[in-house]
Amino acid sequence: MWLNGYLPKWLRYGVLALVITLGLGLSWASGSPAMAITPQHYSDLKFPPAPEIKLPPYSRFELNNGLKVYLVEDHELPLVSGIATIYTGDRLEPAEKTGLASIVGDTLRSGGTVNYPAEALNQFLEQRAAAIESGIDTTAGSASFSSLSEDLNEVFSRFAELLRQPAFPPERIEFTKNQWRGVIARRNDSPDAIAGREFQKLIYGATSPYARTIEYSTLDQISRPDVLNFYQQYYHPNNILLGIVGDFDSAQMRALIEAQFGDWQAGSPPVGRSLLQDLPEVQQVQQSGIFIVDQPQLSQSTLQIGHLGGELNSPDYAALSVMNGVLNGLGGRLVNEVRSRQGLAYSVYAYWSPQFDYPGLFLAAGQTRSEATIPFIKATLAELEKIRSAPITESELALAKDSILNAFIFSFATPAQTLSRVMRYDYYGYPQDFIFQYQKQLKATTAADVQRAAQTYLKPEQLVTLVVGNAAAIQPPLGSLSPGSKVTPIDVTIPSPQG
Amino acid sequence: MSFFSLFSVSWRRALTGLLLLLVWSFSGAATSAQPNNIQPYIDRVAEQISEFTLSNGMKFIVMERHQSPTVSFMTYVDVGSAYEQPNKTGAAHFLEHLAFKGTTLIGTRDYSAERPLLDELDQLAGQLKTTQAAGKSTDSLQQQFAQTQAKAAAYVKQNEFGQIVQQAGGVGLNATTSADATRYFYSFPANKLELWMSLESERFLDPVFREFYEEQAVILEERRMRTDNSPIGKLVEAFLQVALPDHPYGRPVIGFEADIRNLESRDVRDLFDRYYGPSRITIGIVGDVDPKQVQAMSEAYFGRFKAQTRAPDVSVNMLPQTAPRSVNLTLPSQPWYMEGYQRPGLTDPDDAVYQMISSILSGGRTARLYRSLVEQQQLALSIQVSPTFPGDRYSNLLVLFAQPAPDRSIEQVAAAIEAELTQLKTTPVPAAELDQVKTQARASLLQTLASNQGMASLLPEYEAKTGSWRNLFEELKAIDAVTAADVQRVAQQLFQPQNQTVGKLTAG
Repeated sequence: MWLNGYLPKWLRYGVLALVITLGLGLSWASGSPAMAITPQHYSDLKFPPAPEIKLPPYSRFELNNGLKVYLVEDHELPLVSGIATIYTGDRLEPAEKTGLASIVGDTLRSGGTVNYPAEALNQFLEQRAAAIESGIDTTAGSASFSSLSEDLNEVFSRFAELLRQPAFPPERIEFTKNQWRGVIARRNDSPDAIAGREFQKLIYGATSPYARTIEYSTLDQISRPDVLNFYQQYYHPNNILLGIVGDFDSAQMRALIEAQFGDWQAGSPPVGRSLLQDLPEVQQVQQSGIFIVDQPQLSQSTLQIGHLGGELNSPDYAALSVMNGVLNGLGGRLVNEVRSRQGLAYSVYAYWSPQFDYPGLFLAAGQTRSEATIPFIKATLAELEKIRSAPITESELALAKDSILNAFIFSFATPAQTLSRVMRYDYYGYPQDFIFQYQKQLKATTAADVQRAAQTYLKPEQLVTLVVGNAAAIQPPLGSLSPGSKVTPIDVTIPSPQG
Repeated sequence: MSFFSLFSVSWRRALTGLLLLLVWSFSGAATSAQPNNIQPYIDRVAEQISEFTLSNGMKFIVMERHQSPTVSFMTYVDVGSAYEQPNKTGAAHFLEHLAFKGTTLIGTRDYSAERPLLDELDQLAGQLKTTQAAGKSTDSLQQQFAQTQAKAAAYVKQNEFGQIVQQAGGVGLNATTSADATRYFYSFPANKLELWMSLESERFLDPVFREFYEEQAVILEERRMRTDNSPIGKLVEAFLQVALPDHPYGRPVIGFEADIRNLESRDVRDLFDRYYGPSRITIGIVGDVDPKQVQAMSEAYFGRFKAQTRAPDVSVNMLPQTAPRSVNLTLPSQPWYMEGYQRPGLTDPDDAVYQMISSILSGGRTARLYRSLVEQQQLALSIQVSPTFPGDRYSNLLVLFAQPAPDRSIEQVAAAIEAELTQLKTTPVPAAELDQVKTQARASLLQTLASNQGMASLLPEYEAKTGSWRNLFEELKAIDAVTAADVQRVAQQLFQPQNQTVGKLTAG
């Protein structure tokens, strides 16, 4: 592998389109037999006009019980897939029952229903190579299905019943809790996993819904009634967005959805975004400092350096994403300097990573051999300082902007991408033209905007540095980074499970 | 044959993926039990695929797919770590990294001034080595090396090749090296077809392997990350050496640390000169293209490569295994368990049967090992089978990886696996189970048909490894023809103690 891919999720759909018509574009006579082509160096080439973005037609309607539906037809292959997004999230579970939402999301599917017990359901689906999955992450719940179009009715009825009447058998809840116990026991086996987990705790706080971890003690607090309660609180038709894409006729699909979901009773408010009015407060907990998780067996330090970030709807999102582009990727400043010039790391990056509805992170990270830990930190910090203290060059600006704008077409390559973007914006309460607003802002972004954004949003004095590595082998030691700097050890010992 | 052949990526993802309880990623996602319903779609896709060979021997496989105005490219080079000299491990992967460094025109401010410095660096590196070996002081040489390196670096436009691709709207630019092959890939908006032609042909016509010594340090970091600081990475490296001694697949793709340190730029250049000729390059192009135009451009741009006698393939002369083998590591980590069984390469007539065995054992929620070890007995947190490892052109291994559940021993896991393997040897697989696995194989292919990148990857791989991209589709017929008796017969041959290597990682 040449590059260890790190592309934040928001970046994958956050990029924007450019429909420029290059006046010089050549029009290729398709199929013309005699095309005399002379090889040219890339800089001498002229291109046909950039392809235009075409949005697939989609329909949106609401059932009487409040279920919102989005349909996009795509007849390339005899396949249908769908996803229900549920207004919930593990940030809404009680802290002492951390893990509850995840267990609800998992066992909703894996436990089957009364009519379709787990084992028979699994058999049914796998014989058709169909799939139904479900889960709950920090900010949303989801349930999805995929099927050959000819199996759609049968698969969809099972999908609907799982959402409406999951059985949550006690033994399946216990099984899932045991799986989580296994995950806890293994959570220190990867330096990367330790760094990611502990860094979130340093920034958001160990008990924050955005950082807390599932523990043996929280698993022990979770009962089947908790699972049923959590499910009943959120799984109502008027609290769900349902999107379906694939090889179907929209009118027939609508009838099928009515048949399977129409008689599902609406829940009483609050539902939808209003359910999420009281999101947890977020403040950076450790204001600065150097922290180490000492792992004497390691020859390489895994580093995370950063502070609290922001939300995606910031007016400076476009400028910050240009900053991300200048710092990262092939030919980005960090890869050029820390990796290619200094040979300090295989993986190095620094991203402003916003979230839809709570503050994300600014995070610089990478791995380097123990003895290069200080040089790695210094080289990375120097780049962060540089982007604040001097404007980026015009060619860097052009590179970052063009990279996003010219690749915009890839965000519209499949109907499924459009469907999920439309639903995502609705879910988080973003305007449907958000991506096109961003495109406009991006085109207008100047080098001065980027510097101003870097100065406003990157806060060197608030950077928290976390090293997972071999403390004895880190020479010069971390304490030598700046005069009087204190290094705080973090104990990651896993508490023993209660008998 | 699947993406599992990417040693450096896929097994790791598969294993850690199983730990994420929320995320189940099955290979197949949708199709029916009736092959006839899918066949028309597969036939229709096959009609969209064409091929041509340049007079220098370079092959192109082109698939028209006009769903979006984008196109995916794959340069598949038929050389992987298996082709390295025993003390030069890591050379193929090193070359992959250096193929991002540019050409005499890209990545440099002035190649004519840069070139003598690159030569000087190689000479100094050689002197450093001999001086070090003689036990003499290298201080002044090191200083001279650093000065020359700084001078050379001043001419470099870091990562300019990648910048050009990105600025033009390219996405997914990357490369992988496996035991069998090296792949270079990315996607462009459809109007940039000729840009890919220009950049990719120049990249391999006129490469400059600059920043060799800086990249050496980067690769050592990559090795530390993937292997030295990863318990399972260490186990796999040790396991392969024991399971496949005197076999090119027994050596790590990324290379041993000492070899990476000792590699010289001429080693990489030698590998390039020997194996990067047009007869070993197969190109896959999938997306919104006109095949005639692709051919015309390819002839112009890639026709510039000189024909070259195809370097011989590797010959594997491994002595047959006669007794069970094992490797044990003790590391500060939770336990892992591996089993591997030697099997023939993918051109073996029973290849489809090995794939079926793997799917029956670990292909999803109803697969035997998952159901028995993970769900019913709760002995393991996860279990995964790969039908081929770490490559598949030559004889290789069917491997099983398991993570024992807390408070369960490796021995309990091993015994439960053995019971399931014995069952496979003694009792014919029920027809419904066999049909299910066949259905999933078709589903998996059907899904891939809708992915430009997926098809751009598979078509050249099948062409290079089996002699024709059509085998991607023919393989379904072979899978359909597999009987319960075939599964039993191959299981009996395969799962024998004298054919087995066991790997254990125990907590220390």
